[in-house]
Amino acid sequence: MRIFRILYFKELKSYFLSPFGWLILCFAALMQGFALTATFKQFSDNAVPESLVFVTFTSPIFGIYFLFLFPVLTMRLFSEENRSGTIEGLLTAPVRTWQVILSKFSAAYTTFLSLWIVAVVHFYLFTIVTDVPPPFTNGELAGAITIIALMGMLFTAFGCLASALTSSQIIAGVVCTAILIFHIFLGFIPLLFGDQIPAAPFFEFISSQNHLREFSRGLIDSRAIVFYLSTSAFFLFLTFHLLDFRRWKP
Amino acid sequence: MIEISNLSKSYGRLKAVDQISFEVTRGEIVGFLGPNGAGKSTTLKMLTGFLPPTSGAARIAGKDIFRESLEVRKKIGYMPENVPLYTDMRVKEYLRFRGGLKGLSRSRLRKRLSEVMETCGLTHVRRKMIKTLSKGYRQRVGLADALIHEPDLLILDEPTNGLDPNQIRAIRSLIKNLGEKHTILISTHILSEVEMTCNKVVIIDEGKIKAADTPENLVGSMRTAGRVTVELKAPKSEVEEIILEFDEITRVVGESLQDDWNRFTLFAAPKTDTRLKISNLAAEKKWPLRSLSRRIGTLEEVFIELTRKD
Repeated sequence: MRIFRILYFKELKSYFLSPFGWLILCFAALMQGFALTATFKQFSDNAVPESLVFVTFTSPIFGIYFLFLFPVLTMRLFSEENRSGTIEGLLTAPVRTWQVILSKFSAAYTTFLSLWIVAVVHFYLFTIVTDVPPPFTNGELAGAITIIALMGMLFTAFGCLASALTSSQIIAGVVCTAILIFHIFLGFIPLLFGDQIPAAPFFEFISSQNHLREFSRGLIDSRAIVFYLSTSAFFLFLTFHLLDFRRWKP
Repeated sequence: MIEISNLSKSYGRLKAVDQISFEVTRGEIVGFLGPNGAGKSTTLKMLTGFLPPTSGAARIAGKDIFRESLEVRKKIGYMPENVPLYTDMRVKEYLRFRGGLKGLSRSRLRKRLSEVMETCGLTHVRRKMIKTLSKGYRQRVGLADALIHEPDLLILDEPTNGLDPNQIRAIRSLIKNLGEKHTILISTHILSEVEMTCNKVVIIDEGKIKAADTPENLVGSMRTAGRVTVELKAPKSEVEEIILEFDEITRVVGESLQDDWNRFTLFAAPKTDTRLKISNLAAEKKWPLRSLSRRIGTLEEVFIELTRKD
């Protein structure tokens, strides 16, 4: 456990003791502000039957910057170690491979979670500085944050896998983006081919867009929770074997 | 300390290391030599648990390198080739991180940090970022990292690669001092270094062990060792005839020089010294003698003899 802690804090430091983590935080805060402002504009122009949380988190602006975060957060994790050769020093120390993977994943995930503190503050800022009753409930906000945390977990795991594949950060970033776009695309299949096709329930089940819509209405669906937890574990497991590949390749 | 038996590693069809076996006993400084691509680094990577062997086995301090990898890694201080470091960390921060990974307790880590920084001459750069350090200092950081947990065995992959002569000297004397407490396995292709620091040499080429012995024995058993050159003022044919009667001498080659002087090259069996016999002979026959020398080989010659392709 101590080794995990040492590795974890080392990774976390590389985000927050350099401009890198703060730049991402800045970018995320800015984009969250944009998304919220655009939603307010919509609310002031005409009547919207949905809550502020729902409209903000399903707006196109959110979709774009949300997906952009993961390649940026994760592309460095393993590819940089592969490129500089420090992976050799790391894995010849008395350290288990899973400790390395979990620590890197956790650090990236912690950084990702910290980005949403600003978003939550934005929403409550509205209730504090105006005398208008808040156009959302706490349940909706909690649901939205829950699904963002769950999606973030899976997408960070995608990023870990992409980063372990290569020794180039750029390629890692591109591969991560490709996996993310592919995942989102799978969710759109029922829209493209109609929900009458036999596989439609499956695509609806894994669709992050659907999950986001349900959760930000305050509907917490345990199937989605299980889906994200298990798929994240699966992708970390793949990452583990990718990193251990040198140990069993012919 | 290290027992390697029939260790092999193949990369696809290429056999990088082919059934090598050798032993290193506690307290030895062993030079692991070979031309580029001979399989040195691959062997070291297998010993440190970074690569698994294709077949064969090796034990370090009685522990199997594959099955008890974690235990083995605790006992090894490894400095990889080109010394990869986290360049955005400071020297002391990096060493503290590495010491923690290697399981040192907080108080022991504090003590060891100042000790290794002192030993490796890093105390005055401890607050510097690693990326601002010169290659020599990075090499020292790598060495300090290998030493921090007081390992029984130090494995250094080309520790003086790319350093200037002064730095090479500093690292060499450092290694020599370390040899008093640790067992050391150094891979290198700088032979003078091995002659000066190591008390055992293992030569590997094309994945196979070519020789494993002390540098003195290797040099002594060379083909050209024991060869004697003598310059005499004497008739060529007579000298050749008499000298060939000595048991140790296998062949004599005479060569005429100016003013009736002749130079004879005597090919002798390794580990023999015929100089005294020759000088006695010259005195007896009243042949003027102006030069007599026995060839002492160098490790470089041994190396070339063993690894030359033609």
